[in-house]
Amino acid sequence: MSEKGASANKTVRKLHELGFTHALMIPDSESRLLYEALENDPEIDLITPCREGESVAIAAGLWTGGLKPLLVIQNTGLMEAGDSLRGCGVGPKVPLRMMVGWRGYGGATAGKLPIDSAYTFTEPLLQAWRIPTWRMMSDDDLGTLELMDQTAAETSYPAAVITGYGFKP
Amino acid sequence: MIERMELFRTVAERRTNEIVVMTMTATLQWPLVSKSDLDFDFLAFGMGHAADFGLGLAIARPERKTIVWKGDGGILMSLGSLVTLARYAPENLVVFLLENRSYEMVGGQELPPRADFVELARASGFEGGGAAGKGKVERIDSLEAFQDALPRILTEAGPHFIVLPVTNREKLPPVNHSDHAERIRTLRKALDVS
Repeated sequence: MSEKGASANKTVRKLHELGFTHALMIPDSESRLLYEALENDPEIDLITPCREGESVAIAAGLWTGGLKPLLVIQNTGLMEAGDSLRGCGVGPKVPLRMMVGWRGYGGATAGKLPIDSAYTFTEPLLQAWRIPTWRMMSDDDLGTLELMDQTAAETSYPAAVITGYGFKP
Repeated sequence: MIERMELFRTVAERRTNEIVVMTMTATLQWPLVSKSDLDFDFLAFGMGHAADFGLGLAIARPERKTIVWKGDGGILMSLGSLVTLARYAPENLVVFLLENRSYEMVGGQELPPRADFVELARASGFEGGGAAGKGKVERIDSLEAFQDALPRILTEAGPHFIVLPVTNREKLPPVNHSDHAERIRTLRKALDVS
């Protein structure tokens, strides 16, 4: 079993294989290395909005116009973006592909207190929106990106992988 | 001040292959002057995010302009969007900000009276922004001035952020409750996206 966290560079290579044209992402502490890898990537255009509600609407516009965006979004941003995700993804059945950072997972599963409420509500929130999810905890789970991508395409509905330990180089 | 329906008629007469994204009261009145599969009703798609959706479309479809009819109340719901629009600033994006200083759709309640949308757009980096440094922020106060400016706005490189003080004396039609997924499918089909 691989060590905790997915490799940012391997993740970007997988995103190339899946044909993503854009990544919409606001840097956060757990996904910082993925952000830096995407910043330096010549194939995927990185868009950094001010807040995640913007990210979702921009991604919906990109997809409607024929491109293939990926939303990389921390769970806290997912919570902020609720109305946008409802309106631009879930309601109109736009197959938004998402990687959701699971802030608080490491601490909560290690028994550290207090438990981050962002951790507590991440999976229930996605379930409430009926968004299928997979856990990506290490390089062993990079295949979940492909499952997420296929499912979004087949169902024309948002789908997400949740990244539990952030990224390593 | 400009009567809103006159504004819409002016744009509809000049419009050719542009995508038009609209929200709030524009979704009620723009369809009175335009029937096009390139029109997109953003109402209920996400409060405050019509221009963000337009930004995505403009990036994806550089061969044509994307026009967004945006309300001043809506822009206050996501002011950070101005900074994002100014940062990525595609040349083919035109945001027409319909400034009526009120939440008209829900009863006309007053907006913060001292907010200056031209200055907000400028301070966000819109003016001179974009890859070509051609971003423009303008305030146009009369129908005649708008009629003069529109051919330029629709042809020159932007992006454009145009503040238009408007009034409305027309009775508003009812809200369009068409299927949201169908709205997306229709626009994608009009854009030849499979």
